[in-house]
Amino acid sequence: MTTSNNPIRDEIERSTARSRRLRQRDLALGITTPIVLLILWQAASSTNLIDAKIFTPPSKIFATALTLIHNGILTHDLLITSLRLLIGFILGGAVGVGVGILLGIFRTLRAAFSPLFAALYAVPQIAVLPLLLVIFGIGETPKILTVAAVSFFVLEINAMAGVRSIDPQLLEAGSAYGAKGRRLFWHVLLPGSLPAIFTGLRVGVALALVVVTATEFVAANSGLGYLVWNSWQLFEPNAMYVGLITIALVGVILTGIVELISRRLMPWRGRNTRD
Amino acid sequence: MLKSVARMLPNLGERINKVTGEEQDWLVRANQITKVFTTNGQGILALEEVDLTLRQGSFTSLIGPSGCGKSTLLRIVGSIETPSRGSLDQRQSPRIAFVFQDHALFPWLTVLDNVAFGLKMAGIATKERYRRSQLWIERVGLAGFERTFPNALSGGMRQRLSIARAFVTEPDVLLMDEPMGALDEQTRLLIQEDLIRLWEETRKTVLLVTHSIDEAILLGDRVVIMSRRPGRIKTILEVDLERPRSLHTMTDPRFVALKDTIISDLHDEVMASMDLR
Repeated sequence: MTTSNNPIRDEIERSTARSRRLRQRDLALGITTPIVLLILWQAASSTNLIDAKIFTPPSKIFATALTLIHNGILTHDLLITSLRLLIGFILGGAVGVGVGILLGIFRTLRAAFSPLFAALYAVPQIAVLPLLLVIFGIGETPKILTVAAVSFFVLEINAMAGVRSIDPQLLEAGSAYGAKGRRLFWHVLLPGSLPAIFTGLRVGVALALVVVTATEFVAANSGLGYLVWNSWQLFEPNAMYVGLITIALVGVILTGIVELISRRLMPWRGRNTRD
Repeated sequence: MLKSVARMLPNLGERINKVTGEEQDWLVRANQITKVFTTNGQGILALEEVDLTLRQGSFTSLIGPSGCGKSTLLRIVGSIETPSRGSLDQRQSPRIAFVFQDHALFPWLTVLDNVAFGLKMAGIATKERYRRSQLWIERVGLAGFERTFPNALSGGMRQRLSIARAFVTEPDVLLMDEPMGALDEQTRLLIQEDLIRLWEETRKTVLLVTHSIDEAILLGDRVVIMSRRPGRIKTILEVDLERPRSLHTMTDPRFVALKDTIISDLHDEVMASMDLR
């Protein structure tokens, strides 16, 4: 009985070690799987088990990427797509957040505009592109506006939902403790709707990428979408893969940035929910 | 003393028909309050011609069956709800603080900033409001959790935080809406004990809405019993148990007798909604 403390401590240590081991294993698996798949792809296409003309081996795709970076095509396309995406997203998103919050606060505005916006949101924004092309000609404006439109709707809807979803008790507590009018907005309404706004940003940035790619398919002679589309027409699967992978990377990076900002701005979230 | 009597005189003149001798030291008075709610296009009578007076420095417990409108009455007393009919008199525009049912803590603020919120809105300088908040954080036993966010706290700790947030603003009137409703029995006993101590130290004017007969008697100077909806004041009982009180007060024969009176008084109105609590 004198060692009764040790078996318990041993068990606690074993359990901690086990959970750490499991986490490390999960991480390793997450990295290994894509690498293994790439190796399989490489092996299958260089032994002509799959059609190497369509499924070019990763090594060749990588070589093409280097060439495209070297001659400036990829970097140029990346830059131009990013600009269209960011300008459209920031413009449309900012207006969307503003309008959404206003609609969330003021019942009259909500009654007047919310059904209209909901109906417009149901129209795929990309379908408006031809109309915008008629109005503005084939410049940058229609592409940026299409991206802005989709960002606007996603953020408008989420910001409005965010304001509406704030626990009424919090608003009461806020005003009971002296936060009225503008101060209620800054100290309760805005922080309270931040989670929903960030949900909107995450969804919006992904949709904006889809839309910018689609507009570049049909109405551009530059950008990553154009690179992919043009590679199809010239039958250059290598370049197409490079374009696709770059688009995917843009998506990952933008989502990551949104995630990072969201953690900075909302330190109270996701603390206790990790397990 | 003379001054305060003098200040009362004009009011006395106005409302001489209502003021009885023992209620001259009132702070908040609700007169003939009627409240109608509209839910799904249907009007519901929640309160019917209710009178309630909060005496300066007294602790009033308000008890009644679920849905009898006791929370509504509290909210009207605190001016976050307007009565459909009737009026609310406040003397010397008292500072009012709330302790809400689900705590209503701001999830985006740390414990320290939650406590300091009311002071910040009142325009108190940063250093001073943190000093005062720190004091109350220690008083309710949350020291060491200043930088924690509310969602990482247990139910009991959240309730303490909510109480600290109310007390730190040094309110004249403290309104508590079923503050212990969401807590387990042990935690509730602990917090009741804290509340007794805090109240006996500070002697705020308190209105406590509760489901629990024990809590109503243990904390209150008097217990106001409401009928089922539409809520009316059924009985007002004075609690003649001396202070300081503790949880042991609950075994005092007078406590038990009072509890018995209340149980009979509430009768079937409350038994259905409350015997399992």
